[in-house]
Amino acid sequence: MNRTFPLLLAAALILAFAQGALSQQDMKTLAPAAYGKLTRPAAQFNHDQHNEKAKLEECVACHHGGKDGKQDKSASTEGTPCADCHKLKTGGKGTALTKAYHKQCIGCHQAKGKGPVACGQCHKR
Amino acid sequence: MNAAYEFVTGPLAWAAWGIFLLGSAWRLYSMYQLAKKKDASSMAFMDWGFSLRSIVNWLIPFNALGWRKNPAMTVATFVFHICLILTPIFLVGHVMLWDQFFGISYATLPDNVADIMTLVVIGACLYFAGRRIMQPEVRYITTGQDWLALTIVLAPFLTGFLAYHQALNYDLMIILHVVAGEIMLAAIPFTRLSHMVFAAFTRAYMGSEFGGVRHAQDW
Repeated sequence: MNRTFPLLLAAALILAFAQGALSQQDMKTLAPAAYGKLTRPAAQFNHDQHNEKAKLEECVACHHGGKDGKQDKSASTEGTPCADCHKLKTGGKGTALTKAYHKQCIGCHQAKGKGPVACGQCHKR
Repeated sequence: MNAAYEFVTGPLAWAAWGIFLLGSAWRLYSMYQLAKKKDASSMAFMDWGFSLRSIVNWLIPFNALGWRKNPAMTVATFVFHICLILTPIFLVGHVMLWDQFFGISYATLPDNVADIMTLVVIGACLYFAGRRIMQPEVRYITTGQDWLALTIVLAPFLTGFLAYHQALNYDLMIILHVVAGEIMLAAIPFTRLSHMVFAAFTRAYMGSEFGGVRHAQDW
C-alpha cells in the first residue's frame, strides 16, 4: 500500500506531461489560451485528419511567414502556433487572430469549393 | 453546400441590398410626385416645426394618447422595433461577415443578449398575429398584406434562432436564414414594411396638418 501511492503519482505525472507533448497531434479544436472565454464554441479542427483529407503535404500551405502585415507564403513557420504571431488585437499592422483564422480557413475552403464556410459548420455546439 | 452559400451570400445579397436601397428611393420619389399631383395643398402646410414636434412626441412611449389607450400594444411595438433593428446590426456573426467581406468592424452584442432579443421579436410577432385574429376591430381591417409583412419579418428571426442553436439541419437552416433576410430587405419598399421608409413622412404630414391647419396636437 505504501508503495502503490508514489507509483500512481509518478504515473499520473508522466501522463500529464505526455498529454502536453502529444497535444499537437491530438489537436481537435482551434481554441488557443489567448482567447480566454470563448464567444462561440471552439472551431472544430483535427490537424492530421484535415491535412489527410485535404491532401496537404506542405506545412507552409497554412503555416506561412511574413511581417509588418505582409504575408510571405514561401517562408514556412511549421510548428509555430497561429496565436504566437497573430495577436487578439493588432496595433495597426498585422492580422488579428480571429480574422487570421477566418481568412485562412474560409478563404481556402471557398477557393477549393470544399470545406466549411458558414459559422456553425466549424463552431459546432 | 459551398456553391449555394456562395450564391446567397454573394450575388443574391447584392441584389437584395440593391432592391432595398433603389426601391426605397424610387418609392419615396414616386410618392412625392403623387402627393404633388393629388394633394397639392398639403405641400403648402408642411412645416418642419410641427413635423418634428409630432415625430418626437410619438417616439416617447405612453406620451401619445394612442399609446396610452393600448398599453400592451405600446410595450410590444416599442420592444419589437428596438430589437428588430438592433439585433441584426450588432450580432457577432453579422459583424464578423462585415469584417470578412469589407474589413469593417464595430461593437457587438453579447450572444446571450442577442438571443433574448431574437425571442422578443418572435414573441412580439406572435402577439401581433394573435391581435389580428382575436381583436375584432383589428381583424376587420386585416388583409393578406398584413400577414405577408408579418411572415416576412418573422422568418429571418426564426431561422436565425434555429441556425444559432444548430437545431435541425444547420446547413439548410443557415441558407434559409440568409435568404429570409434578403427577402425581408427586398420586400421593404414594396410591402407594408414600407412604413420603415414612409413613417417619418406620414407623421410629419399629420403633425403639419394638425399643427398648421387645425391648430391642435396630434398625439
